[in-house]
Amino acid sequence: MRTSPEGVASSLGGNPPAESVSAVSVRRLCVSFASAAGSHLVLSDISFDVRDGQFLCVVGPSGCGKTTLLRLLAGLLAPSAGEILFRGQPVRGPSRDRAIVFQDYTKALLPWRTVAGNIALSLEACGIAEPDRGERVGALIEKMGLQRSAHQFPGQLSGGMQQRVQIARCLAQQPTLLLMDEPFGALDAMTRQTLQDEVARLATEQRTTVVFITHDLEEAIYLGDRVIALGAGRIAETIDVEIARPRNQLETREDPRFLAHRHRLFGLLQEH
Amino acid sequence: MQRGPSGLRGWVIPVLALVLWELWSHAGTFPIDTLSRPSDIAVAGARGFIDGSIPLATWQTVQAALYGLAVAAVLGILFGVILGLSPRLEGVVGPSIDALRPVPSVALIPLALLMFGFGLQMEASVVAFACLWPILLVTIAAVHGVEPRLLDVARVLQMSFAARMFKVILPAALGRINVGLRIAVSISLIVAVTVEIVLNPRGLGYSMIGAQQSLRPDLVYAQLLWLGLLGWGLNAALNKAVSMWPGGVQSYEDVQP
Amino acid sequence: MRILRSQWLWALLFAAGLLLVWQVLADQKWISPVFFPSPSRTGAELVRQVAEGQIWAPLGATLQRMFFGWALASLLGVVVGAAIGSSRTARDYLGPLLEFVRPLPASAVIPAAILFLGLSNEMAIAVIAFGAVWPVLLSSAHGFVAIESKLREVAAALCLSRMQLIVKIAIPGALPDILAGARVSLAIALILAVVTEMQASQPGLGQNILLAQRSLRSPELYAGIVSLGIMGFVVNRALLAVERRLLRWRVAPA
Repeated sequence: MRTSPEGVASSLGGNPPAESVSAVSVRRLCVSFASAAGSHLVLSDISFDVRDGQFLCVVGPSGCGKTTLLRLLAGLLAPSAGEILFRGQPVRGPSRDRAIVFQDYTKALLPWRTVAGNIALSLEACGIAEPDRGERVGALIEKMGLQRSAHQFPGQLSGGMQQRVQIARCLAQQPTLLLMDEPFGALDAMTRQTLQDEVARLATEQRTTVVFITHDLEEAIYLGDRVIALGAGRIAETIDVEIARPRNQLETREDPRFLAHRHRLFGLLQEH
Repeated sequence: MQRGPSGLRGWVIPVLALVLWELWSHAGTFPIDTLSRPSDIAVAGARGFIDGSIPLATWQTVQAALYGLAVAAVLGILFGVILGLSPRLEGVVGPSIDALRPVPSVALIPLALLMFGFGLQMEASVVAFACLWPILLVTIAAVHGVEPRLLDVARVLQMSFAARMFKVILPAALGRINVGLRIAVSISLIVAVTVEIVLNPRGLGYSMIGAQQSLRPDLVYAQLLWLGLLGWGLNAALNKAVSMWPGGVQSYEDVQP
Repeated sequence: MRILRSQWLWALLFAAGLLLVWQVLADQKWISPVFFPSPSRTGAELVRQVAEGQIWAPLGATLQRMFFGWALASLLGVVVGAAIGSSRTARDYLGPLLEFVRPLPASAVIPAAILFLGLSNEMAIAVIAFGAVWPVLLSSAHGFVAIESKLREVAAALCLSRMQLIVKIAIPGALPDILAGARVSLAIALILAVVTEMQASQPGLGQNILLAQRSLRSPELYAGIVSLGIMGFVVNRALLAVERRLLRWRVAPA
């Protein structure tokens, strides 16, 4: 993987998001995979911008290319055509200020390290030594509510807790961009809702730019400032969600604007 | 087996080593007493085949290995089926088996010598002891794995023990028993050679020790190479045989003791 | 072997029954006392050897030989296994060569080893290492190949250096496989230690058994076999305990 020098300016610290600067710019992105049956176009002509501190949700049915898009943004995959700019620089490989939370948390955590150890991995990668490292790990454990499990192994934790650990590990990187690949898909409804609110709160507090992938329409509208609906590799619709934060599981989901967006997108996704 | 560049690469190191070895052997610094020229080794090997000494020794080793293997197979499969079918019996006899298993088969060489004296029987008995355990354990596991419905069918049909054994249980379990047999075949060759090297005056092992003691390193290496070919050929043949068997199990990770 | 707790009593009775039958047969001289000394004589001999301290020196010698050979084999095995497991090129160049050398019986190497190193302890350790290297080499290679691909992605996303990848992810990830292979290697090391002792007249339990056979002292012979069995069992259990401690993060799949 070729790494590229990226601006590591973190949005922690209270810089007001500049309206005209895009954290992420995607221009005419195309991705096709070669397979035994010939070339298969996964994404075609995708273009969008994400502002600093914005929470973007990408929603669509399985196989529409959402995960591929996220991996492109992370730099784990290269596009067949088009370009991705991160803070004005082209993306040429993974970078620590673009953190990615994987969908399958059982495989993305180191099973032989405790919760604290897993979170510390990011800090070790960033070259942060003790005692700094220990303090930061402690702070993140507090923040994600992992105090009681700090010295347990991932295998001993529930799905929701494991996903919290993954999120904590990503936050430890102090990323400018947080990418999340259907992180709550495998969790039960209650845990999902709790984590949704936590992520929303964290994103607002840290003013992190978030790109969140999901197949759950309501989750996308609930969490996002903007929702992009993908269908068959193309952008079907872009919706701006103007509901104020902090949002609420009960009230927000009954808000007429929420319902209107939902109707609109539901119809669109059915067509594909 | 891959053809093409990756297949050829495997030859690079051996061929290179061989060439360098041959060149070095013509230099003054070559330790002619301990190493030998590849060309000398080839000659010694050829001679050994022509005058029949290597084929004879090979046959002696194989004979002992087969003899011991056969005894182990019969006992192992028989008792394996019996124990596999009766969990009660298995529980009672099990710990005794577990106690006997860690005894290294080579430790029994002097005992076998005491009982049988030098020769074929002594060697075969040590081979049999060594091969018994993998066959026994794998057979037990294999019988456990036989579809219980089939056993029920046999009972409803009121088949005799022999009929049940040969018509239902063994064919059903054979796929996995194969795995134990494969392990045992490799073990039989290794143990036979070991017994010969330690003290039994027959076979390839003894022949190699003889060559070493008469300071004929070329003959030692020639026979070592031959033994390697034998082992490799045996493995390859076994792999081929297993792949042709319907339902044969390829790996033994789950039946390792 | 599935053994219920309730069956332990029966199992013990069964084993005791076998010994009793043997004892009676030996006492009644229905079987030759030369070939089959009674359990009581064997036991007495074993107790005598322990009480008079005779057993510790040969036990120690065999143990030491076994451990050195095994340690050498494990080190080599992990390094070469790691190389093969993680590098396609290494696999291509070394693979076929290793496939050919592997089935070679380690004891068959003894005559060649004697040419180089004579009838010495060094020869023994070299032969032990040669024979014991394979299980740990193969399982290390497997461990390194089978590293969860998701973890590689995590490493890529975190921009870990190659060294960090190896130390923090590859080695801990491959550890279960490596340890399993190491246990099998240990069993092989014990066997080869005994073989080389008998072959090269090196002091140890193996040689004791051989000498007992030559002087037809069968209780000593059997006592020696029993000692080896016990040693093999204890050493295996010890390694199992270490393995369980190191791998305590492994939970049974739900």
